[in-house]
Amino acid sequence: MNARSQVFELTLEGRQADEAVTSLFHTVLFHRCLGKFLYTNESSYSVSTVGFTDVDCDFIDLTYVCCSSNSLARTVKQEVSNFSEQLRSNESSGMGQISLEFFQKKPSRYLFLQPECIPWEVWTVRLQLITLDNELERQECREKVGNHLTEKIVYITEVMNRQDYLPKMPSRSEVDLVFDTSFVDVQPYLFKFNYSITGPSSGTSVGSTMRKFIKESFNL
Amino acid sequence: MKRDFKMRLTKNDKKDLDKFTKFLALKATEVIVQSRLGEKVSTPCKPHANGPDWFNLNINDLPEVVIEAKKVLNSELLLTRKFPFCIEISLRTAEGDNMVLETWCARLLPEQCDPSTTNSQTIYNRMGILLKSLVSVTRVTPAYKLSRRQGPDSYVMCYRMYMDEPLHHCLGEGSKQIRVGQICTPIGTLQLSCAYRTKMTISPTQTSRDNSIMLKSDHFNTNLSPKNRRYSQSDDRTSSLSETMKIGAFADRKKKHFEEPQLDLPFCTFFADRISLNDHQVDSEPQSLATSPENDRLSGNGVPEESPLRGEGEKNGNDVAVEGGKQQEEVSMASTGDDFIMVDLKTPFAKPSGEKMELTKFFREWQQAPLLETFKDLPPVEVTDLQKQLETYESDMQEFDSIVSSFCQQSSPNNN
Repeated sequence: MNARSQVFELTLEGRQADEAVTSLFHTVLFHRCLGKFLYTNESSYSVSTVGFTDVDCDFIDLTYVCCSSNSLARTVKQEVSNFSEQLRSNESSGMGQISLEFFQKKPSRYLFLQPECIPWEVWTVRLQLITLDNELERQECREKVGNHLTEKIVYITEVMNRQDYLPKMPSRSEVDLVFDTSFVDVQPYLFKFNYSITGPSSGTSVGSTMRKFIKESFNL
Repeated sequence: MKRDFKMRLTKNDKKDLDKFTKFLALKATEVIVQSRLGEKVSTPCKPHANGPDWFNLNINDLPEVVIEAKKVLNSELLLTRKFPFCIEISLRTAEGDNMVLETWCARLLPEQCDPSTTNSQTIYNRMGILLKSLVSVTRVTPAYKLSRRQGPDSYVMCYRMYMDEPLHHCLGEGSKQIRVGQICTPIGTLQLSCAYRTKMTISPTQTSRDNSIMLKSDHFNTNLSPKNRRYSQSDDRTSSLSETMKIGAFADRKKKHFEEPQLDLPFCTFFADRISLNDHQVDSEPQSLATSPENDRLSGNGVPEESPLRGEGEKNGNDVAVEGGKQQEEVSMASTGDDFIMVDLKTPFAKPSGEKMELTKFFREWQQAPLLETFKDLPPVEVTDLQKQLETYESDMQEFDSIVSSFCQQSSPNNN
């Protein structure tokens, strides 16, 4: 099965990186989070309520919505910060990408092997950092990035409302193969983050592209 | 095919679908209206709630919004209506002007039905996703930013609900549309969209619903507005003022004429010009301003405040003109520089004529203090000073360069 893949490309200042990525990923996660499942027996369950919170960006003219879950927000923040720190470090060329990947687990046929992770939806944000000279340019960039993110958020909602594949609602014994049940207040589909930074010297060589291609082929 | 399927849809399914749709419309109304209240929204998750919330989403219910929405929906179900359900968000300024910002529209397209989706739980879950999309999209349309800045002194946001085709013409030119999402159900596709204004310039004639009222009112007639009147009244004055400013002390055409006796008379060019303009003799005899009987007459009658000034100036001018030479020319140039534009020097409550004006006199005396005998023979101080200063600057050039480069070095790491 091929995973659906969406790629967003953004050019922005280093200090905007965290908020730009977070706003997109939280919008996606808001749609991909359900309330906690409370099973009454193996196959029937009730779903609790998800709350939401408006978040104003500091460096971008944008307000986005995320689930009212501190633990989820912490997870996202931690991953995005790790990515942006590397992206903004001196060793970086200022280009990099981070992906939010939704997957489901498939129990292995062999008991001693880990369950296989099968991604079904991948959201990738590619960033290119720029340096601005003055406040006027910063103000323009602040508005421009806000407008770009607005377009992308509208696009996310469009994708979310297509009647595409979603994993089936699991029975009690299989809930952990589909959902991440580690959060106390929300229950997102299983997800993970991947990121890569383009080093200053490497660029996109044929070798690295091939390596990536082969690696991804094996993953899928 | 469609008919076959509709028959297969059980009564319960149909009932469920009706109920879901009605609550979707109600909850969507709440989401839209609450997002325009101007405050950030935050609702908590309820992991251990007793009764589930609609669509498993914590959306507050504002009673008045529910009442309004129910009035419009009027227990009639959205599905049985031919017309869409619209929520219009508009802006009302403190002056009472209205501008429609956006129209959210929920409609059912019966021709696009999806016979495969029979499970009402699936539809319910999709409605939940659609509501989440609506929550996200309401934060990114231009009206959201406006709503966060609203206030009773500037403008407030208003909402209106109706069952009809959306009035897109109210949104002005260049309006845009967002399709929030759609759900295919056995009885048709339920679609949620938003059309919004992109040009935010408020124009009463454009946005008012009832043009006749606006046409009757002269409030917006720019020709009759007090602002315009004021300008039209003062037209003569501004034009004369600008004329006076144009033919200033530095204008070549006039300079020659005023160099001789009135050089030290501050603003004399202004007065001269006014007189000339009044007399329609701009270029004829400005040179004879101080002495001609014609100008005396004008100063005495038309511009009374100028007469004492002229007397003072003449006196000083004589002194300086005889003794000063080139240096005095510089003095007069400095005194009639761009820093001052005094046209009338008419003190408030002053008597119109006859008596000398103390304030003006004082000002003249203070500005035109006669040169002391001691300083007459001295070489021009400024020249020597300038030369010295230039020399020191040139000698210190390297030091300046190093300071500038150190600043550059300090500022560059901060930018990163």
